Amino acid sequence: MTIGSIFHDMWEIFITYYIGQGLLWSGIGYTLLLSAIAVVAGALLGSLLAIGKMSRFKVLHWIITAFVEIMRGTPALLQLYIAYFIVPMIFSSLDLTPIACVAVGLSLNSAAYVSEIIRSGIQAVDKGQTEAARALGLTSKTTMLKIVLPQAIKNILPALGNEFITIIKETSLASTFFVGELMTTYAVIKGVTFNTVPTLMDIGVIYFVMTFTLSKLLGLAEKKMKEGA
Amino acid sequence: MIMNMLEVKNIYKNFGSLKVLKGVSTTVEKGEVISIIGASGSGKSTLLRCMNLLEEPTFGEVWIEGQLMTPVDPYLHFDVIRKSKTYKKLVESGMEDMDAIHKIKSEDLLLEKHSQEGSEYKALMDKIYKENHIETNLGRRKMSMVFQQFNLFNNLTVLDNIMLAPIETAKYNKVKDMAAEKAKIKEQAMTLLKRIGLEDKANVYPSKLSGGQKQRIAIVRSLAMNPDVMLFDEPTSALDPEMIGEVLDLMKELAAAGMTMVIVTHEMGFAREVSDRVLFVDEGYIKEEGSPKDVFDNPKDPRLQDFLSKVL
Repeated sequence: MTIGSIFHDMWEIFITYYIGQGLLWSGIGYTLLLSAIAVVAGALLGSLLAIGKMSRFKVLHWIITAFVEIMRGTPALLQLYIAYFIVPMIFSSLDLTPIACVAVGLSLNSAAYVSEIIRSGIQAVDKGQTEAARALGLTSKTTMLKIVLPQAIKNILPALGNEFITIIKETSLASTFFVGELMTTYAVIKGVTFNTVPTLMDIGVIYFVMTFTLSKLLGLAEKKMKEGA
Repeated sequence: MIMNMLEVKNIYKNFGSLKVLKGVSTTVEKGEVISIIGASGSGKSTLLRCMNLLEEPTFGEVWIEGQLMTPVDPYLHFDVIRKSKTYKKLVESGMEDMDAIHKIKSEDLLLEKHSQEGSEYKALMDKIYKENHIETNLGRRKMSMVFQQFNLFNNLTVLDNIMLAPIETAKYNKVKDMAAEKAKIKEQAMTLLKRIGLEDKANVYPSKLSGGQKQRIAIVRSLAMNPDVMLFDEPTSALDPEMIGEVLDLMKELAAAGMTMVIVTHEMGFAREVSDRVLFVDEGYIKEEGSPKDVFDNPKDPRLQDFLSKVL
């Protein structure tokens, strides 16, 4: 097998399977679907976790800290396995598909990371801003809504974009459960062609195009936001 | 009864095991300009920050216009101490009234939980609190603070910086015609900006301003709340030398207009010129206080003499 023949096979496989059989669109579709669910659910849940972690209730603080540390300290694949088996048990009446279980696992994982992004984004706002607001007699709620959060969002949004890119890559773990996202196409095509390396390289190119495009878009958005202030 | 503008009574402040203030009392009267001087780490900024409760005093009370900002400190009320079980036990064991009170105060004998000292004690503590307490945010609106680092709100324009707190106060007071109120607040803000010659900066964000401009705007932001007392925490220490003058001039103008001011400063010339009274804070105590003439020309405390010889 020469380098030339690898590129040749990459092209063949791409045309025949990814375009011809539509694996490109289904693969990207499922990957983006999973990523979008994980990012949106992760951001919502992550915000709640961040608020909970900053609350005065010590018990809540400790529970959330433990959750975040465990999610960050164990492999995502392991978490997906556990979600894959446990989620159907908990919601046995719902008859959940494997992709739904994987989405739950990814969302929980992303929530842990997002909560830290939000918390550090809020804490990165200069303490003097809060002090000035409180010294003017503003309540802690008004201070948070009018002064701290608007400034924190500028720290949070870029990091959230990076988290989106990370999650796009992490959805590849879902191929373990054969849910149809991009990485699953490897097993499909390999089963027919027995041609591993060109297939993997095709997949690599597709992932790269997705993440590179997204990161450029995010960069543009970030630049716009900086000019806005 | 003469009502004092601002009164701190026997303030202690500990940060963990570090004792920063060790029993500071002073009274600020209406129209008075007080400068607080002292070396770095002496506790002078902490004292100022205790006045508006940005730091909560460990012990002691802060009163603004006859209203209590802090919890009741039982050690400041003999009638409260006399209601405590601890006092009653001491007296029963044969101790004289004042001796018992003195012993309780000096050895910090009162129990942390009010109910542990009996219902009479708790009832009196609650009564004093209820009769005198003012909500922290309301108290703070009477005494605005100007910071060393300006602390203008980075996400708001200059005009919005000035208008935010008055608008929130109007909302709190449930003003009916908010549109008219906002127009009034805006007009007042513009008048204040004109007064410092920065009306052309109204729609600019703070990042585009010089340090001196920022601090003058921070001062009028405080003024927009029509405060009764203004607290200044080293307002010129973060400024380039050529900008100190413009800020000090504005402060002199305020002092001349009769504003009650408490100023933590390293500007000794300024302190001597504008102050009615100077406090020298050292090692957590007010070591000396008096007119600028007494404090600067005839210092008695050896630490003050040493301090002045270094800074003058």
